[in-house]
Amino acid sequence: MSELIENLKNEVIEALNLEGMSAAEIDENAPLFNGGDPTAPGLGLDSIDALELIVLMERNYGIKLKNASEGKDIFKSIATMAEYISKNRTK
Amino acid sequence: MKIFVKAYVSISDDQVLVNGEPLTIQSEEGKSWLANIYYSAGFQVPKFFKMDNLCKAGFLGAELLMSQLGMVPEEPKKDWSVILMSHSGSLDDDTIYQQTIQTADNYFPSPAVFVYTLSNIVTGEIAIRHKIMGESSCFIAEKYTPATACDLATNGFLPEKGIRNQIFGWCEYMDGHVDVRLFALSLDEQNSLGEWKGDFRL
Repeated sequence: MSELIENLKNEVIEALNLEGMSAAEIDENAPLFNGGDPTAPGLGLDSIDALELIVLMERNYGIKLKNASEGKDIFKSIATMAEYISKNRTK
Repeated sequence: MKIFVKAYVSISDDQVLVNGEPLTIQSEEGKSWLANIYYSAGFQVPKFFKMDNLCKAGFLGAELLMSQLGMVPEEPKKDWSVILMSHSGSLDDDTIYQQTIQTADNYFPSPAVFVYTLSNIVTGEIAIRHKIMGESSCFIAEKYTPATACDLATNGFLPEKGIRNQIFGWCEYMDGHVDVRLFALSLDEQNSLGEWKGDFRL
């Protein structure tokens, strides 16, 4: 799991153009989305980033989200993404 | 209508000029020319890195222009408009997006790339960043001509509605080449660099 988390961090940095950020700086348990509050912890991703994460999961892991409402739980953090990927990946 | 220039900025493939004076750009290996300009100017707007190259180019030009005037980005500007001209518009980003949907077995359209496949996004990004409330449009033109530029800029002012200032200019990015020439135009002569008649170079 730790290898998947590490890979996922790097894939997210590349896919979302998180310039100047390294994998080590991302806390896998921190929220990915913080509702636009710049003082809240986490990566502060927006709705376009969420769509990009969906594409990333399909392209890199063969996972196609069937229900959009699932995303809320899956994309809570890098750790929840990794857990979902490990259980559902097809490649 | 008499139009005056308050400041001007140009960005080419190897030089950045603010009011004709070169800006020192520190080149860091592995970073793009536009990213090097961003870091050298000391900007701290992470959204810059999400933008396509056309928007990055326009953003940098507008940022340099407005900071030259001492304008605060966060302050609403009800008396400003932003009008740009471009030859390629968003074609650079359109091409990148096309590559994400080119083949059926590797069909992963990128939402982050798609949102920039419209030329007007560059003026939108500038308007959002600087809270510009007036007209915001990017016009496609074969080339820059002073007559067309004057027409567009003139129509971007609405003195009866209080729109007396404007970011105007040429914003082009295609195949790794950038050509940005932006002017801060005003109907007010005070503190201006002189009258503007659509000339590309001052």
